[in-house]
Amino acid sequence: MIPLVYWLVFSSLLFCIGAYGVLTKRNAIVVLMCIEIMLNAANINLVAFSSYHSSLHPALGADLSGQAFTLFSIAIAAAEVAVGLAIILSVYRRYKTIDVDQINILRW
Amino acid sequence: MDWLQLAWLIPVFPFAAFILISLLPKRTLFWEDGGGYAIAGAGGALILSVFVIWDVINGRTLTGPEAPEFTWVLINAPGEALQITFGIWIDQLAALMLLVVSVVGTLVVIYSGGYMHAEGDTRRRYYAEITLFISVMYGLVISSNYLQMFIFWELVGLCSYLLIGFWYERPSAASAAKRAFIVTRVGDIMFMAGIIILLKYVGTLDFEPLFAEAGTRVPPEMLALSTALIFGGAVGKSAQFPLHEWLPDAMEGPTTVSALIHAATMVKAGVYLVARSYPLLVQTPESLLIVACIGGVTALLAATVALAATDIKRVLAYSTVSQLGYMTLGLGAGGYLVMEAGLPNGYNAATFHMMNHAFFKALLFLCAGSVIHAVGTNDMRLMGGLRKKMKITSLTMLIGALAIAGIPPLSGFWSKDEVLSAVYHAGDFDPVFFLLWAMGIGTVFMTAFYMFRMWFLTFAGEPRSDVHAHESPKIMTVPLIILAGLAITSGFALFIGDGFGGFMEQSIEDTGISPPHETMVDIAVNIFSDPLTYVSLVLALVGMGLAYKVYYLPGFDRSIFVKGVPGKLHKALENRWYISKAYDDFAVKVVYAFSVLADMFDRYVIDGIVNGFAYLGGRSGGWMRKVQDGNVQRYASLIVIGICLLLIFMLYILPWGGW
Repeated sequence: MIPLVYWLVFSSLLFCIGAYGVLTKRNAIVVLMCIEIMLNAANINLVAFSSYHSSLHPALGADLSGQAFTLFSIAIAAAEVAVGLAIILSVYRRYKTIDVDQINILRW
Repeated sequence: MDWLQLAWLIPVFPFAAFILISLLPKRTLFWEDGGGYAIAGAGGALILSVFVIWDVINGRTLTGPEAPEFTWVLINAPGEALQITFGIWIDQLAALMLLVVSVVGTLVVIYSGGYMHAEGDTRRRYYAEITLFISVMYGLVISSNYLQMFIFWELVGLCSYLLIGFWYERPSAASAAKRAFIVTRVGDIMFMAGIIILLKYVGTLDFEPLFAEAGTRVPPEMLALSTALIFGGAVGKSAQFPLHEWLPDAMEGPTTVSALIHAATMVKAGVYLVARSYPLLVQTPESLLIVACIGGVTALLAATVALAATDIKRVLAYSTVSQLGYMTLGLGAGGYLVMEAGLPNGYNAATFHMMNHAFFKALLFLCAGSVIHAVGTNDMRLMGGLRKKMKITSLTMLIGALAIAGIPPLSGFWSKDEVLSAVYHAGDFDPVFFLLWAMGIGTVFMTAFYMFRMWFLTFAGEPRSDVHAHESPKIMTVPLIILAGLAITSGFALFIGDGFGGFMEQSIEDTGISPPHETMVDIAVNIFSDPLTYVSLVLALVGMGLAYKVYYLPGFDRSIFVKGVPGKLHKALENRWYISKAYDDFAVKVVYAFSVLADMFDRYVIDGIVNGFAYLGGRSGGWMRKVQDGNVQRYASLIVIGICLLLIFMLYILPWGGW
């Protein structure tokens, strides 16, 4: 069995890559994809801790609540992507660009 | 029937009249827009007062726990409960005031039926206010504790304010009302401070336990302070120097109001308060000396101003201030007599003068009202020669003038003589009373002079303006005749039964007095064998004679009064010794300067701080908003940096600091 810490390092790396992408990429679709990467890092964390918890307490049997939450999370992420893409689409129709640096009218 | 137990009903009659006059529809007010209700209310109180006074004359009083009372405020503090009750207290002094208020009050309300006839719809307000005044004045007189007295004290002040400002559309009346209210308020604050001191040390304000225990429970210097402060209340209400200037200004009200409130009753409340506080005052010689000195100075000062006044009501107002000074002087000197010799003479004399003065001064004011009603002006320079047209008024006013000048056998002679004799005898214990006596005797001369100056200017000689004067209607002259009868006869109270003194001294017998038992003959012999009596009598006659020479006999050149040194003096008197002006200057210069300072402080310091914070917020907001530049990725970066800093802080800095 792969030790917990491996999973955590993996998910942290994934999260940092996603965060880096969110902060630096100009293309709104890429930013949305990076958000998905960050979300999946969290999902990996949930599954990792859930299986770790089961291995610590074998008497309790298999506890799948972490996996169940992850399924929820994936479903919600799908919905979120639909909304996010819709927003990007309407922004594109209005401004003819999806460069997030250009879309800054909501300011002082 | 025990009338004393019903004494609490006395104020209820005029109060009921007040409620009816205020609330009834106009067509049910009947005669004189409510005058009938006012007379009924005042008359009901008069009848009940007479029964109560009769009980007191027969030796029954109601000054203790058997009096009806109800608890108004009850504070159950641990260890010490404070109870404030509303009760009644009828002793000889209260009976005397009841007599004054009931008789003068009823007569003035009747007289108002003629005097206020031309006022139209405002009569309703007049009668409502005057019945309210009579009611609360009764309440003040029968109060059984200082707090109750203070409440009614403020209420009579309110009525005084309302009635001085009765013609409020005249700016002078409106400002006189405000002045009276504010100036007496100075005294009221002192009164309140005085009773708070007593409450702190004794824990009750009821007269009975207070008078019994104050001597042992209050430290002497605090008792002196508290009695001096209570006298301060009397200084405001009874218009004593230096708070006397409101009373002459109060003449802006209707003359009936001047007669009732500013001559006979409310201004006596201050004297009444001092007399009521006698059991406390006689333990504090310092306060007694203040009382006597202020009384003496007031008597002399006010009399001098009356010499040069040209407004008939102002003459009477200054005369009232002067006579109130006599009463205060008599009470101050009388306290010394009680303290040093156990003699109640001064107290008896001052309260006697209080009663007599109420009658003859109400008479004089109502006569002046009758004259003003006929002539339509207050200025004596425009009167003259009214004697033939107004026979009853001129005759009754002559009686009043003789009474106040102190000509026997009219009432003023007896009481004024008693006051001066008490002051002279107090001189045995403190020589300052000889000086005060000299001031009093000088006042006698001036009183006779200015009273007859007024009478001659008004009624004698030739008319100085073409007014068609006429005698007033019966409803006004009948009260004048009754009051003139009282002004002649009330002085003989000195000789009825045990004498007036024998009656009054019972109200202060707890102070350890040992009065000599005098018969009627003793009293008369004492008065007429004393050379001092003749000194004051001769001075009064000289004053009258001088007034006769200057203002009646033709050929006297009065222009000497306005030239040279007498001219300067005359100018000072016409300007009321510049006291009023000094107050105005004080208000204009000092208070205004202080107000400007306060305004500056408010504008630049307080507003500066407030506006400064607003400016700071505005500027920093303008600077900080640049952060919000619309770039979503920068926001996200700041959030990430913030979370990282927070994590570093919580994981490393806090444990490192020991948390």
